[in-house]
Amino acid sequence: METINFVLSGLGGQGILFMTKVLAQAALKKGCRVMGAETHGMAQRGGSVVSHLRLGDSKGSLVRTGTAHFLLSLDESEAYRNLPFLAPGGALYANAGPRSFPRGEVRAYLEKKGIRWRAMEATRAAVDLGAPLSSNLALLGFFAGSGEGPMGPRDLEETIEMISPERFRNQNLRVFRAGLESAGGV
Amino acid sequence: MTKEEIFLGNGAVALGLLEGGCQVLTSYPGTPSSEILPEAIRLIRRENLKTYVEWSTNEKVALDNAFAAAAAGKRAACCMKQVGLNVASDSLMSAAYLGTTGGLVIVSCDDPGPHSSQTEQDTRLMARLAKVPVLDPSSPEEARQMAALALELSEEFSVPVILRPAIRVCHARQGLSPGALKDREGPASFQKDPLRWAATPRYRLVLHGELNRKLEAVRKRFEGLSSHNHHDLEAGRRYPLGIIAGGVPWAVVRDILAEEGRGDLPVLKIGTPFPFPEETARLFMDACDKVLVLEEPDAVIEYFLRDGGKVRGRLSGHVPPQGELVPEVIHGILDRVLREDGLTPLSEPGGKEVRDLVMGLELPVRKPTLCPGCPHRASFFAIRKAWPKAIFTSDIGCYTLGLNQGAVDTCLDMGAAITMASGFYQAYRQDGVEQPVVATIGDSTFYHSGTAGLLNAVYNDARFILVILDNLTTAMTGMQPTPGLGIRADGSRGKAVSLERVVRGCGVDFVEVVDPYDVGAMISLLKEAQAHVRDKGIAVIIARHPCVIAYREEAVPRPIRVTVTEECKECNICLDRFGCPALYHDEELGRTALKPHLCNGCGVCIQVCPKGAIVEA
Repeated sequence: METINFVLSGLGGQGILFMTKVLAQAALKKGCRVMGAETHGMAQRGGSVVSHLRLGDSKGSLVRTGTAHFLLSLDESEAYRNLPFLAPGGALYANAGPRSFPRGEVRAYLEKKGIRWRAMEATRAAVDLGAPLSSNLALLGFFAGSGEGPMGPRDLEETIEMISPERFRNQNLRVFRAGLESAGGV
Repeated sequence: MTKEEIFLGNGAVALGLLEGGCQVLTSYPGTPSSEILPEAIRLIRRENLKTYVEWSTNEKVALDNAFAAAAAGKRAACCMKQVGLNVASDSLMSAAYLGTTGGLVIVSCDDPGPHSSQTEQDTRLMARLAKVPVLDPSSPEEARQMAALALELSEEFSVPVILRPAIRVCHARQGLSPGALKDREGPASFQKDPLRWAATPRYRLVLHGELNRKLEAVRKRFEGLSSHNHHDLEAGRRYPLGIIAGGVPWAVVRDILAEEGRGDLPVLKIGTPFPFPEETARLFMDACDKVLVLEEPDAVIEYFLRDGGKVRGRLSGHVPPQGELVPEVIHGILDRVLREDGLTPLSEPGGKEVRDLVMGLELPVRKPTLCPGCPHRASFFAIRKAWPKAIFTSDIGCYTLGLNQGAVDTCLDMGAAITMASGFYQAYRQDGVEQPVVATIGDSTFYHSGTAGLLNAVYNDARFILVILDNLTTAMTGMQPTPGLGIRADGSRGKAVSLERVVRGCGVDFVEVVDPYDVGAMISLLKEAQAHVRDKGIAVIIARHPCVIAYREEAVPRPIRVTVTEECKECNICLDRFGCPALYHDEELGRTALKPHLCNGCGVCIQVCPKGAIVEA
């Protein structure tokens, strides 16, 4: 199978690692070979955080710039910062206002490279459900609901159910479903 | 336990050690090594093993403890980050000579980048310096295999073995199929042999000779170790260019060659950089006109190849001498070398357009910062306010981020807050100047290597204020317990070692505890401490408040709802000297405002505002 490359970006504390874990676990269940790279340590304290996930036969854990099929970003600026990872024809999912995203000059670049994009206000969705720190699950739901990638919404939902800590399980699922709905793919 | 599971690279190391029959496992946390011990504990619990685990007080202590177990015939390992191996190097150099009875593996995790370390040093060079074999994995799966292999080799050849996973192995995730784990039999049985175990210099010479013979035997084994040292040369064929690579760069270059369909470039993988498998490398070199060496963070294989005219790498200037060899960097290096040799270049990577685009967006710089509610932020605010003219020596941990508040001037190594404070003091006093110095060190760092420096300062009458930032955990590396808590690595009870008693035991007379959330109390204590410093000697303040991440509820038992009023005069003291992420300058309002979803309700900012504009809502 051709390697499918994901890059996930955001800020320390937004739950990038958990999001990566859900995608990786769901892919493994689908029978994909999984390789990923994470940020730990000093950079986690509020700084830019990036994690890489590769499904397929890759030996290395890092996605090379220009080769990511998907960029999922929990922060608008971090979405822009990590644009160099996206391959032509890739797709960008961002936690941002759908009307204002992306900025004009970025829009022109994405159109030129055939990169699709979708944005949702994941933080607002999470806050509305009383879970302000769960924007990661909202965006994950939004991505799943857009029908892309080898894992379907059901795979991701089951994985969230399986790996969420008990006290966050129901809340995580609620936020994920809200993201799913806002993508129009329940 | 045969189903495939996703393992963190550090979990794969833990799995491999346990599969290799590790009976004693010690560690001091440090990125990127910190998760090895917790992952091992998870597996030990799941499989009901008897493996002994401990968070040791520092890396040297961890190595000595594991060494003793190996001297008693057990299989033991100790885990640390690469700069931790500096702390343990005294032990390592000697342990190499003494050798082992059982198995001893030192896991030392490198940090090319560096992402979370003070240097980009290469553990493989430490292995060469100490004369111990080193294994260099390229993936979690290989790290797992090598961890078990390292224990076996160590026992077979009676020599400590280093496993060197780099950060991209430690923090990679990969699906692995673990087999069943079982306890290794074999009771502790130390065979007294003072000539060896307590060797004098005369006998050390004999041991050195023995070590050299062991290394030659290990090298021969490595020559035939085709699972980790392998190449894809076709017999009889000559190549204009070949690649020799180890560790993560090997994985990266393999992927690039596969994507580019470059079967014309043979690759030799070196999984055992020392003792260097010279015959294997010679065979490869002989088939290639030129060779490109890809390794990190330093040059090691390149030195061993000893054929400067043929070899391209760091020494020849083809590979950057610092920084991580991420895929796009390796792509660029390989492409340049191919062009230089008149060979088919790689496909155009592009990317300049998008890099220029991103550059032009002027995105905000996201520097790491202390968490909202972090007690260290309150301490630094008070320190800076009480003694604006002091030199602020600090140390290694989250609190290095006191930089952002102008309250950290130095960070050298573990424990240097104290030793640099005494050094500054003496350097100024020599000139008749009483320079105020305020040192800050975390609780775990103090237990790690604070006491020797404190004893020295007391003994030599150095005068400064030492603030021990006691958040009751080792926060930066993932909330490992400290000796102060008396909770051990596996969650069982140990004896709590009181920070106050240790400090008093070092001969300090002024030892006071304060909650830094009470900014006023901390400032007046700092003033009182300075009077003691002037008249009597060193003063120690323990600023004690639980970490807001490790102890969510206890840290802020009654969250305060905070708001910023129109009294705000934009003096920006709260932003510049306090710098909580929940406070920001609102362009529209023309003053400071609050992001409620980031605020954790500690209420310290209310005490910080000189205009009283930050209030309880």
